[in-house]
Amino acid sequence: MKIRSDIVAVYREVHSWAGILAGLFLFVAFYAGAISMFEQPIQAWLTPPAGLPAPVSLDRTPELMEKTFAAFPEARAHYTVVLAPDATQPGRLIWPKGGGGHGHGPAVSVAAALAPDGSVVTVTQAPSEAAHFIDELHQKIGLPLPHDVAMPIMGVVALVYAVALVSGVIAFLPALTRTLFAVRLEGGKARAWLDLHNLFGFFSLPFHIVMAVTSVVFAFHEQIFAVQGHLFHQDRVPHVARMAHGPEAAMPRPAAPLAPAELVAALARQAPGFVPDTLDYAMRPMGPGGRTLTLRVAGHDARFGLRGPVSGFAGLDPYTGRVISADYLPGRQSNGFAIVTAFFSLHFGSYGGAPVRLGYLVLGFGGAFLFYTGNRLWIMARRRSERRTGVVTDTRGTWVLSRLTLGCTTGCMTGVAVVLAVAALSPGASSYAVLSWVYYAVFLACVLGAFCLTARTGAPVLLLGTAAANLVLAIVAGGLAAHGIGISGGIALTALLVAGCVAVPGVRGVAAGRVVQAAD
Amino acid sequence: MKGARLDNRQWVAKLAAGIVPGCALALAVMAVVGALCHTTGSPMTLSAQLLLWLAGLLWAVILSGCFLFRSGGWAWGVLGGGAVAVWLLFAVLKSVLP
Repeated sequence: MKIRSDIVAVYREVHSWAGILAGLFLFVAFYAGAISMFEQPIQAWLTPPAGLPAPVSLDRTPELMEKTFAAFPEARAHYTVVLAPDATQPGRLIWPKGGGGHGHGPAVSVAAALAPDGSVVTVTQAPSEAAHFIDELHQKIGLPLPHDVAMPIMGVVALVYAVALVSGVIAFLPALTRTLFAVRLEGGKARAWLDLHNLFGFFSLPFHIVMAVTSVVFAFHEQIFAVQGHLFHQDRVPHVARMAHGPEAAMPRPAAPLAPAELVAALARQAPGFVPDTLDYAMRPMGPGGRTLTLRVAGHDARFGLRGPVSGFAGLDPYTGRVISADYLPGRQSNGFAIVTAFFSLHFGSYGGAPVRLGYLVLGFGGAFLFYTGNRLWIMARRRSERRTGVVTDTRGTWVLSRLTLGCTTGCMTGVAVVLAVAALSPGASSYAVLSWVYYAVFLACVLGAFCLTARTGAPVLLLGTAAANLVLAIVAGGLAAHGIGISGGIALTALLVAGCVAVPGVRGVAAGRVVQAAD
Repeated sequence: MKGARLDNRQWVAKLAAGIVPGCALALAVMAVVGALCHTTGSPMTLSAQLLLWLAGLLWAVILSGCFLFRSGGWAWGVLGGGAVAVWLLFAVLKSVLP
């Protein structure tokens, strides 16, 4: 493809600066994001068994609800009927402790079951926060800041990432046909790294474009909606009115909501193929002085993309079982909402089931590796041009960047492994604060190590440290096979692969004794 | 943009143009499209959500393209002028449309 050479030169420069600015943040975002593809299974794996009696059948759920609400009237405000109870949602009926949940992340919840004698048994469960912590790490691109502060910074990094993608494509296009499949391993180290970078970058380009655009929107949606609110007469009245006084509100209501089994059957008739997971009930203020019971069903359907990371949603009338909102119901959405949902599900990998999730795990790790190769290339290019001008040692900028690249990448990989191992080994559910301290202590130690150790020893020590942490995680995961053989094996295998990938350059660094060249 | 060879000497001004008037232009286009399709701006509606994606995508495209302007001043002129013009169009539309 023919592009003016000066434009290519401009964008090559833009690419290297945009890449170097965003690269390390993106490394953390992609590494943690890849792991958060399996957030729910990891959380279930880390949550200790609740020790409740076996959940009642769906047909007996009304009895459980009646008895529970008599004993715990506060549960009526917001409760969930779980259709397939598991470790994280151990009871057929659960509700957030202390009223409403805080929205994001797992909340302390109460689960109810019936004892053999028919009495209500409840257990209060604090969920393990490790999987959620890794997801937050992904969303906040590794920054130890409150969510509100980290989001705009993430948005800026995502914009820089978008610019880096466009400029990278323009810089690479002229050489595309010549060098796409050529990984010239013997033509010098810099060339091999460049070829790998181009190969990875080109073949995961659609994935990266989706991630960049969606991340910009995820970061700035509140601000842009605020602008929209100022610009357009924000007529929420008709919408609310439709919900509260729609055609079904005009009809006389039956006295009691339908039983969960009837609701599931009604939903199955209206949306065949959609597999409901939870029925979320909430009492919401509607109209003057009135409170209405609303029902949102979360579920999945492998044939369609899902709006959430693991779920699509249907709004149901709890009294009639009629679908009143299909905006986020897979397969029943309008074309417009299906388009918006496509963006979300392409980011979350929430389409096509387990194979796509595994694919996203690989793409996520591949993305992290892409940013690592980008940093290496930048350092090598700078060093080359510095040597040409007669400078024998690295300038301060090159030195700082090479140390940061080593410290941040090993720090992130070690920190994540340690967090998972700590959460798996601790007897109770580990709290967000504790895991946060553990992660950032490990991360900081690795960055400090990268700066304080000599160039000769720094890289092998940190790389082998990362390998050791992942090896420990693999052993710990292998030992917890009783919590779920699939996820235990998956974590152990992934940790072993990561350990192997970082151990090879680590061992080579030790063996060669020429760590300066091997690790920079 | 013919003639002179492109370079990055005025990258600060070009990038700043992509950030400030570039954002204003992206939001202005969102505003005009929103006014034309009679959106209410309520985040639950489809139109508001599509406009959100439009604005985000446009800004990313403008930021990627701002280095193509022949000078920083030119970038500010085009993007700033464009933003003012489209915002004026929005003001006109607001007063004309019911």
